Amino acid sequence: MNPFSTFSRREALQRIGFGMGALAASDLLANVREGGMDSPLAPRHPHFPAKAKRVIHLFMNGGPSQIDTFDHKPGLAKFDGKELPDSIKKTLQPTQRNRVGTIWASPFKFSKHGQSGLEISELYPNLAKHADKLCVIRSMESEIANHSPGLLMMNCGHPVLSRPSVGSWVLYGLGTESEDLPGYVVLMPNGMPTAQSRNWTSSFLPGVYQGTHIETNAKGGEMIPHLNRKDIRFGTQRNLLGLTRFLNQEHKKEHPGDERLDSRIHTMELAFRMQSAATDAFDVTKEPQAVRDAYGDTPVGRNLLMARRLAERGVRYVQCYHGAGQPWDSHSGLIPRHQKLAEESDQPIAALLEDLELRGMLEDTLVVWGGEMGRTSTIQKGPSDVNKIGRDHHVDGFTVWMAGGGVKGGTAYGETDEWGLGIASNPVHVHDLHATMLHLLGFDHKKLTYRYSGRDFRLTDVHGHVVEDILA
Amino acid sequence: MVSVFSQRFVKFALGAGIVFSIPVFSHALPKEQMSGSEYFERKVRPLLIKHCYDCHSEQEGSQKGGLLLDRESGWLEGGDSGKAVVPGQLGASLLIQAITRRNEDIAMPPKYELEEEEINIFRRWVKDGAAGPIEDMGETAFSQLGNQEVIFEKAADHWSFQPVKKPELPAAGKGQAIDQLIFAKLKEKRLTPSEKADKQTLVRRLSYALTGLPPTDKKLFEMEIDQLVETLMDSPQFGEHVARMWLDVARYADTAGTYRPDTKTPHYYPYAFTYRDYVIDAFNADKPFNQFVKEQLAADMMEFAPNAPELAGVGFIGVSPHRNMSGDFVDDVIDATTRGFLGMTVSCARCHDHKFEPVPTADYYSLYGVFSSVNRPEPWKEEEFPEIKGYKPAPGELASYREERAKIDKSIEDAGKKKKGNNRSLAESIEQTDLAELLLFNNGAPARAIAITEKKRPSNPMIYIRGEPSNKGDRVPRQFLKILDPQQKPFSKDNSGRLEVAEKIIDPKNPLTARVYVNRIWGMLMGDYIVDTPSDFGLQGEAPSHPELLDYLAANFIENGWSTKHLVKEIVSSETFQQSSENRGGMEAIDPENEYYWRANRQRLGVEEMRDSYLAVSGNLDLKVHGRPEELWGDDYSHRRSIYGYINRFNQDPTLRNFDYPSPMQTQGQRTDNIVPPQALFLMNSPFIIDQAKTIVDKLGFTEKTPEEEKVTKIFEAALQRKPSVGEVNRIARFAEIENGRNVDPWPLLAQSLLMSNEFLYVD
Repeated sequence: MNPFSTFSRREALQRIGFGMGALAASDLLANVREGGMDSPLAPRHPHFPAKAKRVIHLFMNGGPSQIDTFDHKPGLAKFDGKELPDSIKKTLQPTQRNRVGTIWASPFKFSKHGQSGLEISELYPNLAKHADKLCVIRSMESEIANHSPGLLMMNCGHPVLSRPSVGSWVLYGLGTESEDLPGYVVLMPNGMPTAQSRNWTSSFLPGVYQGTHIETNAKGGEMIPHLNRKDIRFGTQRNLLGLTRFLNQEHKKEHPGDERLDSRIHTMELAFRMQSAATDAFDVTKEPQAVRDAYGDTPVGRNLLMARRLAERGVRYVQCYHGAGQPWDSHSGLIPRHQKLAEESDQPIAALLEDLELRGMLEDTLVVWGGEMGRTSTIQKGPSDVNKIGRDHHVDGFTVWMAGGGVKGGTAYGETDEWGLGIASNPVHVHDLHATMLHLLGFDHKKLTYRYSGRDFRLTDVHGHVVEDILA
Repeated sequence: MVSVFSQRFVKFALGAGIVFSIPVFSHALPKEQMSGSEYFERKVRPLLIKHCYDCHSEQEGSQKGGLLLDRESGWLEGGDSGKAVVPGQLGASLLIQAITRRNEDIAMPPKYELEEEEINIFRRWVKDGAAGPIEDMGETAFSQLGNQEVIFEKAADHWSFQPVKKPELPAAGKGQAIDQLIFAKLKEKRLTPSEKADKQTLVRRLSYALTGLPPTDKKLFEMEIDQLVETLMDSPQFGEHVARMWLDVARYADTAGTYRPDTKTPHYYPYAFTYRDYVIDAFNADKPFNQFVKEQLAADMMEFAPNAPELAGVGFIGVSPHRNMSGDFVDDVIDATTRGFLGMTVSCARCHDHKFEPVPTADYYSLYGVFSSVNRPEPWKEEEFPEIKGYKPAPGELASYREERAKIDKSIEDAGKKKKGNNRSLAESIEQTDLAELLLFNNGAPARAIAITEKKRPSNPMIYIRGEPSNKGDRVPRQFLKILDPQQKPFSKDNSGRLEVAEKIIDPKNPLTARVYVNRIWGMLMGDYIVDTPSDFGLQGEAPSHPELLDYLAANFIENGWSTKHLVKEIVSSETFQQSSENRGGMEAIDPENEYYWRANRQRLGVEEMRDSYLAVSGNLDLKVHGRPEELWGDDYSHRRSIYGYINRFNQDPTLRNFDYPSPMQTQGQRTDNIVPPQALFLMNSPFIIDQAKTIVDKLGFTEKTPEEEKVTKIFEAALQRKPSVGEVNRIARFAEIENGRNVDPWPLLAQSLLMSNEFLYVD
């Protein structure tokens, strides 16, 4: 049991989804009954045994273009430079109809990789070497083709309303295995993504399930607020905490039988350990030079290496944003922009997959790659210089891939239509992706619930189907 | 009809295991000889299982759009859009329209089309009279989810919808009513009350309960308890403390929940603070709660003077997290109003009749009509916001404001109103950022009330089926909730009806309003609620642990003119409140959660109380009342009470969140009580606390000659308002010796140790 923090017994009994797996609920209640400190972050069993134990979510915020990366549409070449038929134009979201330019086949070359022959564009030469690990979903659909609602949809399952993020649900369901690190960490190299902290909110779930965001360009101790103090030395701090412990023990003797008092004594000691543990976890210079070289000494490279170090230490959910705001948003200059962004992430992602595999962690770590949406196969109206044109937002048929953690590698699932603007087969809504992620972690998404405002809420609301075909 | 259903319900609930009893035919019958039900089971049911039951069957636990296709009543009654099957009539059957995709809005299944052959089976079945299953499951608890007739029947017996009835006291005339009711229940449970807490403990407890501050003034310890209660309740800190509880309910913040993408600044609410001050004043002046409700929903309709501070009351509506006039804004106001005042979760009925509570979707849209009939001017259209009395900037502040203002006005003028493409004009951008920031933070700016005004013509609401504005259903009048107002007389055609909503809420016969409010006050003071779901008194909410006590408090509250101070005083004067908080083995075995109040609850300081206490014991606390929001932490932190902190909804303060400050994205009825390491990190390492510890010692003015024991004593008195024990003095001597040996000043560290201690952070 991890006495990271406490629920009151009554709160536990009231809130925990009665649909939560018999196993999990009984575990939790057993803790309660034994009268021990009953931690909302203690590791728990999911509804059924599962392969994935943790998640690393690589968030390509801004929306990468699927037809330039993982969704090869050779058929578009014959329409290149032509107008879309009106009947297709009509299906685009109204905000975009008047901006639709001509069709633009991908300027990037695709080739087949690995035993599976998965098609990947030249933007990802290193990642392509791991084609057989990837399960590419080419038929993703979301709801509103804009960044903030797209990010919130992908992260929290609702484009507008305040709902808990996937990581919060996962932490709520599974607890964390790391005693001295936050269980849900959100890494960003230099500033927050669009929609900011709402992306990792715990909303109505207790605050302990909120993501801890870390600006990884900050210096070691500054990444977690108040992690260290510089005005006193280690020995003095130890002495200070020793005194505090004495005072708290004296106080406890006079006020026996209150778990919370013990719990606070304990968290203070945990926090003391966390000062060094967290500093250590975020310090990538502790890695051998070869490993650091493999990831690359770049913002994305360091982020992904940090993600692995955190995952290794039992952090349940790590999310890595590519950068501040919405860097992948390529309304113009798509070619240079995508080249730059892919180059920044290709090597680090390849290194991450390889590293996880070598450490035997890939099988129980679910890696998810994708943005909040994709992009159109048409040019957004604008200049005609090929290096200046770009693509607009698109939510009906974009790509997300997963690897490790119980998904079928070397697989492409779903198809977009011949225009690359609609879904031809096997649509996977964001709710379905969420249901599948929870399934891979051992949860029936319909039963992982939380009672709030008179209702049992769940991540997928009243939606979501597990995509059985991609399960290994 | 209902009674028939409930009988069938009993019967079929017992047989709920029999979801499908598809008879196994030993040989195939030619289809002409099949009965209708056989045809259903053999031809139609398999298609339904394959294509429809994921979303429309009890087996899958899903009835999307309110439609079930696993029983006859399911398709005959249909869902939110209407009857799914009209036997014999293909054209009128929505099911057929859906699968033939004639009507795009309801095309089903959503992601693919059925084969022609499959469609023909459905056609034939409907044409032949749509026979039901061989063994129909009838109505079950599941299918009755959201059946408003059944729910209204249940609600008729539900405790919270019964009139408030003042209970007979067990021993009339003896002792306080609260104690009689509490002690009677204790006796019934074989529990006994605890002794009265000692004076030191009581003074501290009362000081926190009534002001949220520690008793740093020694005079407080010399007073009799009654006098102490009066003194504390008369101090302006009382209103600030109770207001903090109410501001959680009112989801108070100084910004909207969104930001401007181009400038990455939040959408500011430069006049929210006058609502916060209004709430503080209301509790300090003991404004009758019924009046308080009215002003928060409709101050603009109540004929106050043009600059009356009461006008700020409608900030309750105006501080919604949604800055635009949108469905989400209206939904939020309905939610805050109904959960906040009534403990009803009405906003669940936005897309369909409430699944569990007596709230038909029509009622939701009746209120929708009320709250969508208002205007919310943009904050920088200053003339729309009434300037209110009571704020006098210092001359220097006024000058600084004027100077800044002139600069911004000039830059707005220079920028011009020309729009760049689709983007906002530069002038607008300056208004929304620089100007709004100036209006929000600069004390020289005029203090204005958030304006909520009436639309010229109130809206005439329609039900939005499944909550989609494009999917319009019947028109409904603007009127109150049926469960509380069975006659449902439509509101006046001349205005939004906000005042009428308020009148219905504060009607003394309304069984909810007073109960919900007294429960909030009880919970705030006692650390535990009579009804554990303070914003949900509905069928899904918790039952009261002490129903008679709740009714006594509610009835007494109304009889005493809805006076909060009267209510508070009665509670804190009770023996129940003044018990010791210590554990007693025998009692704990029977009632470990202290549900029956056999002792007082030991309470952790809320994050505001904690911060305010640090400032109070260091002598840094500035007790000025009212004013614009200020930064709580950081290099230039405010010395004012935390209620005056700047609350940015868009980027919620991590320290507040780590200490269980609830998200102001929606109304919040209670806080969680978590203990997590980031709290400890804050206590150990934050410059704020280090600074307070240092200040304590600095202000004590020790000299080299001050004896060590005196230093220890003074620091204890400053931080904990008590003297140290001998054991403590000895232990601290060891601590100090080590640090002195290191050439580190031990005294600020001792002060910090006391500030971090459980004794400081918990109130007995």
